[in-house]
Amino acid sequence: MFRTCDITGFKVDLTSEKLIRLNAVMAVVSLLMAIVAAILLIFTRYQPVHLLDAEWYYRLTTFHGLNALIYWIVFFEIAGLYFGSTVVLNQKFCSPKLGWLTFILMVAGLILSDVMVLMGKADVMLTSYVPLKAHPLYYLGIILFAVGALIGVGLFFANIVNAKRDKNVGETLPLFTYGLMTAAILAVITLASGAIIYIPTFLWSLGIIDSVDPAVYKLIWWGLGHSSQQINVAAMVSIWYLTTFLAIGGTSINERVSRTAFFLYILFISLASAHHLLTDPATSSAWKVWNTSYAMYLAVLASMIHAFAVPSSIESAQRRWGFNKGLFEWLAKAPWSNPAFASCVLAAIGFGFIGGTTGVIFGMEQTNIIVHNTIAIPGHFKGTVVIGTTLTFMGITYYLIPLIFRRKIVAFKLAQIQPWLFFFGIAILSVSMIALGQLGVPRRHWDSSFSGGPFTHSFNPAVDFFWVLMMLGGVLAFLAALLWVLQVVVSVFFGPKVNGPEDMQLTISPLAPAAKEHKGFEAPGTLVLTFLFLATFAVLYFVNWKWLAATWWVK
Amino acid sequence: MTLIAPEKGWFNKKVSKDERMWIIISFIVCIFLFVWMVMWHVVGNQNPSNTTYKTNPIEFSNLHDAYVKKNMIGMDNGIPVVKPEPGSDVVLLAQMWRWSPVLVLKKDEWYNIHISSKDLVHGFSLQPSNMNFQVYPDYDYVLKFKPTVSGEAKIICNEFCGIGHHTMIGKIVVIDSDADMAKYGYDKMSAPPKTTETAAPEDISAWSEDQLVKGGETIYNLKGCNACHKTDGTALIGPAFNGLYGSQAKVTENGQVKQVDVNDDYIASSINEPQKQIVVGFEKTPMAQMNLTPNEIKQVTAYIKSLK
Repeated sequence: MFRTCDITGFKVDLTSEKLIRLNAVMAVVSLLMAIVAAILLIFTRYQPVHLLDAEWYYRLTTFHGLNALIYWIVFFEIAGLYFGSTVVLNQKFCSPKLGWLTFILMVAGLILSDVMVLMGKADVMLTSYVPLKAHPLYYLGIILFAVGALIGVGLFFANIVNAKRDKNVGETLPLFTYGLMTAAILAVITLASGAIIYIPTFLWSLGIIDSVDPAVYKLIWWGLGHSSQQINVAAMVSIWYLTTFLAIGGTSINERVSRTAFFLYILFISLASAHHLLTDPATSSAWKVWNTSYAMYLAVLASMIHAFAVPSSIESAQRRWGFNKGLFEWLAKAPWSNPAFASCVLAAIGFGFIGGTTGVIFGMEQTNIIVHNTIAIPGHFKGTVVIGTTLTFMGITYYLIPLIFRRKIVAFKLAQIQPWLFFFGIAILSVSMIALGQLGVPRRHWDSSFSGGPFTHSFNPAVDFFWVLMMLGGVLAFLAALLWVLQVVVSVFFGPKVNGPEDMQLTISPLAPAAKEHKGFEAPGTLVLTFLFLATFAVLYFVNWKWLAATWWVK
Repeated sequence: MTLIAPEKGWFNKKVSKDERMWIIISFIVCIFLFVWMVMWHVVGNQNPSNTTYKTNPIEFSNLHDAYVKKNMIGMDNGIPVVKPEPGSDVVLLAQMWRWSPVLVLKKDEWYNIHISSKDLVHGFSLQPSNMNFQVYPDYDYVLKFKPTVSGEAKIICNEFCGIGHHTMIGKIVVIDSDADMAKYGYDKMSAPPKTTETAAPEDISAWSEDQLVKGGETIYNLKGCNACHKTDGTALIGPAFNGLYGSQAKVTENGQVKQVDVNDDYIASSINEPQKQIVVGFEKTPMAQMNLTPNEIKQVTAYIKSLK
């Protein structure tokens, strides 16, 4: 059963639409649980308040990590994969039954593991490093969720194969779906790693096998833990291209380059999870350097390519629309009032300047010594997965509400400022966490005054300033995220119905006019911005190595 | 294109001048990063060690006990203090929730520090220098350290290891010369009698009560009982030891709550089978298997008895 969209002209399979809606709703529910936990955690680590007791602090840290990093993201990605493989290709959903099975498994997994955590049966953190042991049902919950998600990814591939058969796809996939395909391939590697490590851990928790080697566990666990973030990167970049296309009719200025960059992700990015073991025993320097430089840098290169390709697709389209004055008129006259567009641009800026720079520096064998397991690490991934992926997903939802849920966005004015509030909140939170970590403050730590310990330690007094900053950034980000959740829920359930193109609050732009032949730079403004990024990176790089050189000698 | 097929000839379209420039520069940056990481092994002084030995928690904690027994010069807040020779092998044990022993190192001298865990994964975080390494059970990680700054340093645990994680903090003192020992109150320390039998069993039947108490106190400190069982009446993680002997304990056994007398048998059974009877109110943090011999249990019991 199809309906033809009166706004985009796409043929939309109704089963697919229903599954997209349900997965998106579960994503929002997960995010809501994650942010409620987050605000309690912030006010616990902010020592003047020190809200939760130690037990609940660690419990909710586990809960927050699980819901924010796994459930919110993966549910949203499954929705995205269905969207990219059916709606965009005018394709029927291949197997509704398996679609439902996927959904039921994932929801069952979420409920099982979340309940176990809240009952205090799994105070093990998201990483659950053995021999720290959780209740078997916690592991079972995660396994059910992963199996469900894996079937969902399989359905994506099946849809694409069918689309090819039904001639809904020509020579190659559209770039958006191509990017999602990258995400899906990475998802298979990720979820397989998850199964490889969670199944023996589950058996161990039941007492069927004696032990799981802690170093092997950590190695394979990060095949899940980090690779899942690569799925996010691929999905997020795909959405950046999508939003540029929807908002201003822009496309990659050279599709071969963009696609090659996605291909580099597939080849190299999974090995980069080795950087979680840089200060561990058991693996050699050669192994560490090989995986985190040779492999990771080719993936970093891919991100650098996108860092040019995405803004240049905006710049090129804007120039063709006539915003051609000087270096930056295209940017100043960009559709900032379109919340999806604003979200994606802000996400790209945050992801590059905060998450990307720190990611590369912290991921080097030696500089990792000064940040490993400090609060700078969650600070770094607030700069990737929250300011990048989460903000991007929030942004694209402003298109999904009218197009998939067929509802108008309630209080649209608020939607226009929400991306900015969230961006600044997380940016402040993230940067202050990175600063705290560089001053030695540990992550996942209930009491930085070490009460009850045989000794104590006072950090550099500058930490007090950054704790306040972190708390303020966290509050702002929490409010902005809550605003988004409320807006989505109210719009989806109570918003006025969308009856046609006239009800669209966000523009869907026609393709930008074709470029005139011209010599010289195609996106000079973008080139300046990317150089600015490179300069920022160089400064941070230098500073970190300087700090490293001041520590004790070790070999 | 993003939502529709790319335009004809997309595969052969020439890459624009600026995009090509950016890709080349990015690639050069990546190569530089790679080369720099390798170069730091040659010109830099901070590189994670490549030396690891396979071990296990029992073997390594026995190694720690023997090492501390042989080398300890005193106690600091319940943790034994060791002053290793420059260039020597040093044993540092991580366990829920303490780092043992406290180390006194000389500035600008090398030490081979063997680090492993007795139970869970821990995080070695040296402050304020801010150097961080991972500590596993089953793996002995040998980090060759040379302190470059004198003064007091702390070892924070920065890998979650249970409810008492935040209390896990150790100490390293870096001195310029032996004269500095006085600054830390380490000049007048005396090593306690070598009474524990982790290395070789000996007959203690002839020992006086006083000797037993002293021996028990050493075991209490050496084995890390003090991480959870305090002697000043505070009971954060486990019951306090003072005033415990001769009192009544409310415990859960097989789901049944009952009152038991705290006597020799109860203490022995609590050490040998920590999960059998759990004191009400302390269910959250299971006690570790301590693997004490009957002679050691006798000494610990005498020590607990002496704490009024």
